[in-house]
Amino acid sequence: MDLLSLARGPALKVALVVFCLGVTWRIVGFTLLRVHRDLNKPRASIAKFLAGGLITVGSRSWPHQEFIGRTGAGEALGYSYHLGLFAVVLLFGPHIAFLGSLFGVTWPGLPSSLITVISVLTLTLFLAVLFRRVTNPVMRMLSNFDDYFSWFITMLVIVTGLAATAHIGAPYQTLLALHILSVDVLLLWFPFGKLMHAFYIFPSRAINGAILARKGATS
Amino acid sequence: MIRLADIPVRIEPTPLVGGLGGGVPAILSELASLLERLAKAEEPAAIDLRSLPMSAQDRVELRRALGEGEVQATLTAEGISNIRETRVPGVWWVEHHDRNGELIAELIEVTRMPLILMSATDEIASGASALREQLAAAAAARAP
Amino acid sequence: MLHGHHGELTVGEMLRRHGISRRSFIKFCTAAASAMALPPSVGLAMAEQLRQAPRPSVVYLSFQECTGCLESLTRSFAPTIENLIFNIISLDYDDTLMAAAGEAAESARTKAMQDNFGKYVLIVDGSVPTGAGGAYCTAGGRSAVDTLREAAKGAAAIVCVGTCSSFGGIPFADPNPTGAWPVTAIVGDKPIINVSGCPPIPEVITGTLLQLVATGKVPDLDEHRRPKVFFGNTIHDRCYRRPFYDQGKFAKSFDDEGARNGWCLYELGCKGPTTYNACATLKWNGGTSFPIESGHGCLGCSEPGFWDKGSFYAAQSAAAWGKAGEVSPRQVLEVTATAAAAGAVIGAASAGVSRLRQHRSEQHGIGRESKGDE
Repeated sequence: MDLLSLARGPALKVALVVFCLGVTWRIVGFTLLRVHRDLNKPRASIAKFLAGGLITVGSRSWPHQEFIGRTGAGEALGYSYHLGLFAVVLLFGPHIAFLGSLFGVTWPGLPSSLITVISVLTLTLFLAVLFRRVTNPVMRMLSNFDDYFSWFITMLVIVTGLAATAHIGAPYQTLLALHILSVDVLLLWFPFGKLMHAFYIFPSRAINGAILARKGATS
Repeated sequence: MIRLADIPVRIEPTPLVGGLGGGVPAILSELASLLERLAKAEEPAAIDLRSLPMSAQDRVELRRALGEGEVQATLTAEGISNIRETRVPGVWWVEHHDRNGELIAELIEVTRMPLILMSATDEIASGASALREQLAAAAAARAP
Repeated sequence: MLHGHHGELTVGEMLRRHGISRRSFIKFCTAAASAMALPPSVGLAMAEQLRQAPRPSVVYLSFQECTGCLESLTRSFAPTIENLIFNIISLDYDDTLMAAAGEAAESARTKAMQDNFGKYVLIVDGSVPTGAGGAYCTAGGRSAVDTLREAAKGAAAIVCVGTCSSFGGIPFADPNPTGAWPVTAIVGDKPIINVSGCPPIPEVITGTLLQLVATGKVPDLDEHRRPKVFFGNTIHDRCYRRPFYDQGKFAKSFDDEGARNGWCLYELGCKGPTTYNACATLKWNGGTSFPIESGHGCLGCSEPGFWDKGSFYAAQSAAAWGKAGEVSPRQVLEVTATAAAAGAVIGAASAGVSRLRQHRSEQHGIGRESKGDE
């Protein structure tokens, strides 16, 4: 079987299975954990409790005034490349065709030349992110395999994608196969590393916000 | 059916490969060197125009640059071929068409005379004997 | 390398007998050289070389094929310059074209192979079935496998015309009930040229044959043994709709607005980016058109295994794990839902283990280290 058929076929199937299995495992795993019952008197109503949760998801999207100086640049960088990645993944014609083949729905996309520009910008931001992680002493001290590998595998997807669209470096068939294979590896890795933040941040913020709201505090 | 000409896209001509830059001046320069080589060493050469990605505009410009000479030959062999000497002696523009009129080859030959126009040695010899036979047969038919 | 035993007549004399002049022949060779991107001087040299040479003997064997490849070469409204190839070669055996039949035909073949042993060109179209002892394709009581092996012994070179003989083609596609194989799987010790395509472009067939008989040498081949001069670029590399691909203008369905404007057919399953052939430059029917220009995506018919590479109408980036390379959203849902269910079970189990440990540590008293499961 040639590389492309392998990448789009069995490798993709295995990757999707591991992804779904792993993600559900972890979500169900933490959802069913024992909850420490708060024996305090609630300081807010149920409505405020729930609202607190929802509001916190939004309010923690940007640092508090006091911290912007130190963390603002990092946050902005992070948001920018996330937006770039979403734009490229969801609004590029061949990607829409791929997702359409899996889920049966398609939607309009952006011109390919614009997508290329966004990809290159995202790539640059990604390099900046690694630079920051490696040069900032605190970040360097905190970083582990998970941090570097998650960066690496996402970077590989971006680079192979750009190479495939530009048709440089190898025959197109090989480039496309490598791109899809790197996506497969990303999906395999996803449930076991920090990429799970995609599923954790919203429940995490909501739960913390709700708990604090019950105590009468804002966050 | 949509034809290529109906599609409103302008395709930029890419730089030429094989030692020629883009456009007509490069081709003319190449022809000049080939002519010099012909003059010095009697070595003929040819450029296949279909191997160069020329636009229609380039072709018109090239024809105008080379001009029309004194000789125009029409060859009828499995379709028409037009062989014309340009204003530049030794530079011949050759177009080959098949029986349906489709252009199957187009080249610029740098030579004293394109080989396809000349009669071949072996054919000349057999032509001579055929003519002798014809004469002999005619004479035999006239004799009582 | 290749000299026929019809040495009484050279190619030039044979052509003249058929009313084809020396000049017509020069035209033909010039056009063929131009199509192969060879310099014009090579075309002239080929013409001169061939004219003096005795006619090379060619044996054409057809096995599990639909005859489309031969039709591609011979079917035309008017005699084309490509058909001149038949006047150059001495086609000593072709069961579709020859007038003889039965025993007479077979003995003509064996005689030609004997007389020209080691020197004839063997052309093969159709795949070779090996199932049931080779019984799925027999002619004159002999199986295709045996006939091929015997014919290959005395061949100077083998030219596989069409995807079936080059890579197995339709008979080779899943589930391959006849045990079909391409020629390269049966014959190992002879120079083999694969002129693939379903069918191949006529000029590609004649150009390759002409180059082979005129120079006596096998042309430069790619890793699938296809002549690089014709199969060196993908359709995508030379497609006139490339500007639309680059701009992201894709037709979404046949005959929609985009399709009528001649937009790129990527989303309609065009396999142009991964298919090596000369369709976008040489085109079909004497340069009339090619599938993409006529509005249908490339099928990838000159590539190995193209019948099993997924739907002809699914984009190259689409997922393709199912039978015959397709996957439906329903299948995806089934697979992912099953995986998710399994994940949920494991998750619940791990949560259960965690709770159990917490419970045990409470039983042993808060603050004391839990010994866990001993």
